[in-house]
Amino acid sequence: MKITVYLGTGGVGKTSVAAAGALAQARAGHKALVLTIDPALRLRTALRLREGILEQPVDLDPPAAGELWAALLDVRATLDEAVHLYAPAALVQPILRHPIYATIADSLVGMQELMAVERIDQLARRGFENIVVDTAPSRHALEFLDKPMFFADLVNSNWVRLVGRTYKFVAGSGLANLGRKSIDFYRRVESILGANLVRQVLDFYSIFVSIAEGYAARAEKTVALLKDPAVTEFRIVTTPQKAQRDAHYFVHALEQRRFRVGGLLVNRVWDLPAEGIEAPGLAGEALEWYRAVSRAHRQALEAVQREFGGRLGDIRALPELARDIDGMGALERIAPLVSL
Amino acid sequence: MTQAKVAIFCGKGGVGKTTLSLALGLRLAGQGRRVLVVSSHPLAELAIAVSLDGLATHYPVAARNLFVVHIDPKELLKEVVERNFPVEWVARAVLNSSIYQNLIEVAPGLKEFYFLARLQALAERSAEGAPSYEALLWDAPATGHFLSTLGAARNFETFLTGPLAAAGGELRRFYSSMADIAVFPTTTLEEMAIEETWELCDKLAAGYQLRPRAVVANLISPLALAPEQEWAKLPARGEGALGFALDRGALERERIAELKRRLGGPLVGVERIRHYRNDLDALHQIGEALGGLPGWL
Repeated sequence: MKITVYLGTGGVGKTSVAAAGALAQARAGHKALVLTIDPALRLRTALRLREGILEQPVDLDPPAAGELWAALLDVRATLDEAVHLYAPAALVQPILRHPIYATIADSLVGMQELMAVERIDQLARRGFENIVVDTAPSRHALEFLDKPMFFADLVNSNWVRLVGRTYKFVAGSGLANLGRKSIDFYRRVESILGANLVRQVLDFYSIFVSIAEGYAARAEKTVALLKDPAVTEFRIVTTPQKAQRDAHYFVHALEQRRFRVGGLLVNRVWDLPAEGIEAPGLAGEALEWYRAVSRAHRQALEAVQREFGGRLGDIRALPELARDIDGMGALERIAPLVSL
Repeated sequence: MTQAKVAIFCGKGGVGKTTLSLALGLRLAGQGRRVLVVSSHPLAELAIAVSLDGLATHYPVAARNLFVVHIDPKELLKEVVERNFPVEWVARAVLNSSIYQNLIEVAPGLKEFYFLARLQALAERSAEGAPSYEALLWDAPATGHFLSTLGAARNFETFLTGPLAAAGGELRRFYSSMADIAVFPTTTLEEMAIEETWELCDKLAAGYQLRPRAVVANLISPLALAPEQEWAKLPARGEGALGFALDRGALERERIAELKRRLGGPLVGVERIRHYRNDLDALHQIGEALGGLPGWL
């Protein structure tokens, strides 16, 4: 099995690059799947993605030697599925109807990251050889890696084990065998955060914990796969203006966590224009503007190659298309350039 | 008590919210107004992305009037604890307890809630010891997180009872007051950013009765807003660079027309700048290009 994770800040074209990477693998004869977060409308249409739908095969013309599949990461649907799959039957409805559950998919920071890891586990079990992951656009993209482990630690912590007992205590069903110190702290925290909120959260977690434990076990397994350099590589997607700063930030952060950095893809590079073309008036102004921007792109690319060329064997430039990169036609054009 | 005018730059990641907030901040501060930019990026991270080196030398007036902060909700909660437990060791014990640490991580919307409350307090802060600002510019997080931050106030009001619910209601009303808050959804002329802008506008209208003061189209080409008679004189296609510029210009003009049609309100275009010496120079140029935002301040 092979996992390729595309990381980058917002607006760099990560989703298209990831889809093109999966397409290249399908064309090379593999059964590849791209797990994407939030594709543009035309890409969504081309990949036949719909909310609440699990993975779909994508028709290719001409047909590929392998297969291309696409899946949308739908946080709510994934969470619902996990509840149905892993919660004891009697608890499914109480969880789904709980007021905290209604807010959790939106407001628990890192939920997308937690669910991405859950989905990778599902997909690996469904037999996909090549999984391409498009991560949430964020400077904190590495929460994708940190959150699941945080959650796993949390679930296994004494605190969550405490929840059930504490809740019973709060609900007045007798004193649990909590230490006096714990009760004291609990009351103080409650007085600050608001008794009602604390009770709602505790109530929710006391029934949610059955799922959370299963999740934590799966997340630990998946994160181990992501850390295995023989299975997973991370590729950084950036744009010319951000290249140097993104390279610094992500390379450092990935190396610190001992993940394998596969390469840096500098997207949306404007081609250097042929010199000597002149045009009058507004056309001339547009030309001059284009030249200035593309020259700046070239300089930025050269700078990042100078600085990171030795450390990152693989630094590539992907061209900006005058029309947006979306639709299968555009993916086919950049797939050979993204190809591993 | 004076109420600062609040402007919110929101939209998809990577459209330039941070840059525009800082650029507008620099421009207004240069005019002698006290401006506070509230960035969604921690300052250490922001310093990597944008350098303000040379501010005091090149823009001394702005340097005196421009303030940039990042609000860390965990720090706010810490302050709340410290206020509630004046005895230092007790406060420290609470803060270090795993119950507290885990609870603030998992309580949905709690951190967002305290963030909104602090932002409101900053907008309303009186001159007592602390600076009060004429303008507060919120460089909001990307759409999803921005909406869930605003949603935190509503969720507290809807799902809970007691003092926090009341506070949630008050916050929601504050963030729905069009008189003091100007929302500037920001977009590039890429399909996805525009889609996200409409989604954002719809949700702001439905959930908060907030309508955009103007939509900002960022990083546009010089052809995007050129007058129709000038554009008509251009050749339909060209080779190489000219071809690219013309294709892109045509695409951008279609999208601007569509934006204006659907928006029915003002649209501000900010051209992609061509040459700049350093970050500060870039911010200065962008601030000039941004000009006065319509009907604001």
